[in-house]
Amino acid sequence: MSDSSELKAQIKRMLVENLMLQVTPDQIGDDQPLFGPGGLGLDSVDALQLVVALEKNYGLKIPDPELARTILKDVNSIAAAVTLHSPQTG
Amino acid sequence: MSQRIILITGANGTLGRAMAQVFLTESPDDVVWLGVHRRREHADALAAANPARCRVVTLDVTDAASWKAAVAGILAAHSRLDVLVNNAGTYDDALLAQMRPESWRDVLAVNLDGVFHGCQAVMPAMISQRGGRIVNIASLSAMFSPAGQTNYSAAKAGVVALTRSLAKEVARLGITVNAVCPGYVDTEALAGMDAAARQRALSQIPMRRFGRPEEVAEAVRFLACAQAGYITGSALKIDGGIF
Repeated sequence: MSDSSELKAQIKRMLVENLMLQVTPDQIGDDQPLFGPGGLGLDSVDALQLVVALEKNYGLKIPDPELARTILKDVNSIAAAVTLHSPQTG
Repeated sequence: MSQRIILITGANGTLGRAMAQVFLTESPDDVVWLGVHRRREHADALAAANPARCRVVTLDVTDAASWKAAVAGILAAHSRLDVLVNNAGTYDDALLAQMRPESWRDVLAVNLDGVFHGCQAVMPAMISQRGGRIVNIASLSAMFSPAGQTNYSAAKAGVVALTRSLAKEVARLGITVNAVCPGYVDTEALAGMDAAARQRALSQIPMRRFGRPEEVAEAVRFLACAQAGYITGSALKIDGGIF
């Protein structure tokens, strides 16, 4: 598994564990929207938890809601933000 | 978890010290941080008497940066923060027609903005812990607003509304948010009233006595305990029966 795939797998595990989702990490698509129709059905409180978890696990600070909307779009966008923040993990 | 880390703001005052004393006495593992600003002599004395479990931290509740520094210091020491009691408050009574704008702003800043900043400052830690207790000290003035307290009553009503709204936001994260609304309690504010005003106040209280700080502190202790885990968004009156 590539570093990128491993990172995305980590992020999916983080989503499931932190948000107590009723799906397995494997069932989450890399480009599946986290919010809105057709997505995982997360809401603003889930987003709050994700922001805290990303800072705790990866040191990634997401200071404003607009940026959060971009970064928390799907697993791909979270992985990209984490990689950009910590190049060594990419 | 047996040890809890507790932060009480406005801890140099009578009510704040009573809360700290109740936690220290009844929960032998708790560590209590006393948030103080301009005055700290009583808090220092309490910390000196309980050196292993009580510490003083400088905290201007109106200043987000001050909150950030204080919470960072507590987290550096304990890696967690379990209970926040937003107790810091002030008043500056005047009829609205004669109220100085700065009186309005100062009272709102300490009593309402302070609660906002405090809740925001502890939220990342409590979310990360998936648990926490926030108790906001409001006032009976939030519900029965006397003349001369437009600033104080508005601020405390705001605290109750903030409490209810935030409680909904964080309920599923294991964080409870409650308010207590003391009526006439024997604190510095009551001591500042003249005899006639005290008598008028007494006549409004069905129990015909003022509340004791310990009676408010016990309610706060309960709302902060594990057994109160299903209580959130409440505003508990502690007032000797005024309603």
